[in-house]
Amino acid sequence: MITAEQKPIDEIREMIAPYKRVLAVGCASCVAECAAGGQKETAMLASALRMADKMEGEERLIEEMTIDRQCVKEFVLLLDDVLDKYDAVLSLGCGAGVQAVADMYPEVPVVPALNTEFMGETKDQGYWTESCLGCGDCMLYYFGGVCPLARCSKHLLNGPCGGSMNGRCEVDPDVPCAWQLIIERLEKFGALERLEMIYPPKDWSLKQGRGPRKIVREDQQK
Amino acid sequence: MNDQEKPVLALFYCRNVPQSGEAERQTLEEKYGRSVRFFPIPCSGRLEPVHLLKALEEFADAAYIIACPEGTCRYFEGNHRAKKRVERTKEIIGSIGLEGERVGIVVGSREGTKTLAQQAEDLTARISALPRSPVHVRR
Amino acid sequence: MKNASRLKRVLDAGEFAVTAECGPPKGADSEVILKKGEKLKGYVDAVNVTDNQTAIVRMSSLAACALLKSAGLDPVLQMVVRDRNRIALQSDILGASALGIRNVLCLSGDHQCFGNQPQAAGVFDLDSIQFVEAVRNMRDMGVIVGGEALDGAPDLFIGAAANPFGDPQGFRAIRLGKKVRAGADFIQTQCIYNLERFETWLRMAHDKGLTEKTAILGGVTPLKSAGMARYMKNKVSGMDIPDAVIKRMEGVSKENQREEGVRICVETIERLKELNGVRGVHIMAIEWEEAVAGIVEKAGLFPRPALGEG
Repeated sequence: MITAEQKPIDEIREMIAPYKRVLAVGCASCVAECAAGGQKETAMLASALRMADKMEGEERLIEEMTIDRQCVKEFVLLLDDVLDKYDAVLSLGCGAGVQAVADMYPEVPVVPALNTEFMGETKDQGYWTESCLGCGDCMLYYFGGVCPLARCSKHLLNGPCGGSMNGRCEVDPDVPCAWQLIIERLEKFGALERLEMIYPPKDWSLKQGRGPRKIVREDQQK
Repeated sequence: MNDQEKPVLALFYCRNVPQSGEAERQTLEEKYGRSVRFFPIPCSGRLEPVHLLKALEEFADAAYIIACPEGTCRYFEGNHRAKKRVERTKEIIGSIGLEGERVGIVVGSREGTKTLAQQAEDLTARISALPRSPVHVRR
Repeated sequence: MKNASRLKRVLDAGEFAVTAECGPPKGADSEVILKKGEKLKGYVDAVNVTDNQTAIVRMSSLAACALLKSAGLDPVLQMVVRDRNRIALQSDILGASALGIRNVLCLSGDHQCFGNQPQAAGVFDLDSIQFVEAVRNMRDMGVIVGGEALDGAPDLFIGAAANPFGDPQGFRAIRLGKKVRAGADFIQTQCIYNLERFETWLRMAHDKGLTEKTAILGGVTPLKSAGMARYMKNKVSGMDIPDAVIKRMEGVSKENQREEGVRICVETIERLKELNGVRGVHIMAIEWEEAVAGIVEKAGLFPRPALGEG
């Protein structure tokens, strides 16, 4: 899933300040999972914004709507029927959701309410960790299911570095050393000798070689 | 202080609170008039921050939840969740400049749990010094 | 090619090598680095110049090495992979060789969060082992990463760093093996205070045949004070300073702590000289370059061997 966190409310208020009729649009997918932009959070934010406006004697209409997936055209189109009523959208989607709305309605200002962060897992209730960089060439098999790109702070393919201490990364004692995890995992499989190999330089062009990436699947098209 | 000036309380309570049935609630509603609005819920764990926020947004100067004593929640963790959600609501209202005391949780004590009537009396006293909310009254 | 690496020649001659470290200034004043070089000249075979160590912006290692070279020293160009992609790294290798620099130490580099530019993007396009291999292939096969031929191969003695005290212990020998296979001609280790643990690591290296294939130089750092010892023990990752060493430093009065630190350093070097598989010492006297001369003398390593012109 994609994780995000809500921007500080002052920042949001500053961005919506010029608009008098705002629709806060939540998303029921990833951002609901990380409790940042789902229906609940959208209702909470809208209420707080309305109260803040009232406290300042500010006249502004703020209403809410949540769609299933803000990054999918079919769902974004549901806004067609309602957008006339508003002069801006406050999107609680991830960066992809915000842009899907903005691309669909280029004349409507779209304000992001969230800071999108990483691709990761819900490790436990209320706890999310980054685990995938989207490198385009998954090597997880070779590293026992632990990604050295996303989870090693220096994304070493031939780690660990000299700063690994007590299984922790030099950057932050709360961050486990990914290479410690990889070594332990491969030891369990009896496959530690896989790490004798010198992994060659990563092909980063699969991630950034030609600008923003796209996938086209004709078999999936109408 | 006349009725118009008293802070308005939104009081959420779980049905486990002693003497909190329909009849008792109606009596209390008559007693308090517009200064307390009563919201029974099946368990304090069903309370969401948005309930407290909407109460504050629409009419209340303060919004409180009464939860069961530690270890006695019928649904085991309801009172824990309520506590966390009240904390979250405090953060949110703090971020827009409202005093934290406008929301709160009262956890009954294991020895001698108070009735709804007693809780209402305690709480109205507790919030009586709170100024009217700037959401409803421009200062 | 003329101007061969003195470090390489000393090691080839079977002598116990001495290298030291020198940090460039946080500014553009060439005098600073030249003065440091002066203090070390004649006492060491080669001088490492750090590369934006701890991710703090300093005069570039390449420039500082060029200055030291002009002053008659044999510099070791330290290069971290944190700040430059493979294009820049390989380009700097060619430039270094063109300037007559004959030694390079390929490192990962401290993470950018530690320095004075924590908002910088960390590059890490290659890792240190891939970098060692890239330099080896440039030198021995005349090609860059991907195989395209160079127009004139660089001439460099290639080094890598090793930490005998980092985790996970069991894996350290495999990692050292990889560095050697990638092409590390010499290895400089993290500073040693725990000789027992170092010797365990050395034995593992020996058992894998690595002490034959690469020249291991044991790292040492003279402690300036008990406070420094405690700081390094608790705050610097990848260090192992036994309590006995801390106690020894604390056991002498403040004015005598530097002397004690030097004494411990010299004792460590004496032990390293005896160890089979250790071919030299790397003295990292951080911001205390003037101590190096005394340490080299007391450890019986002065004067440095005279080699024929080359």
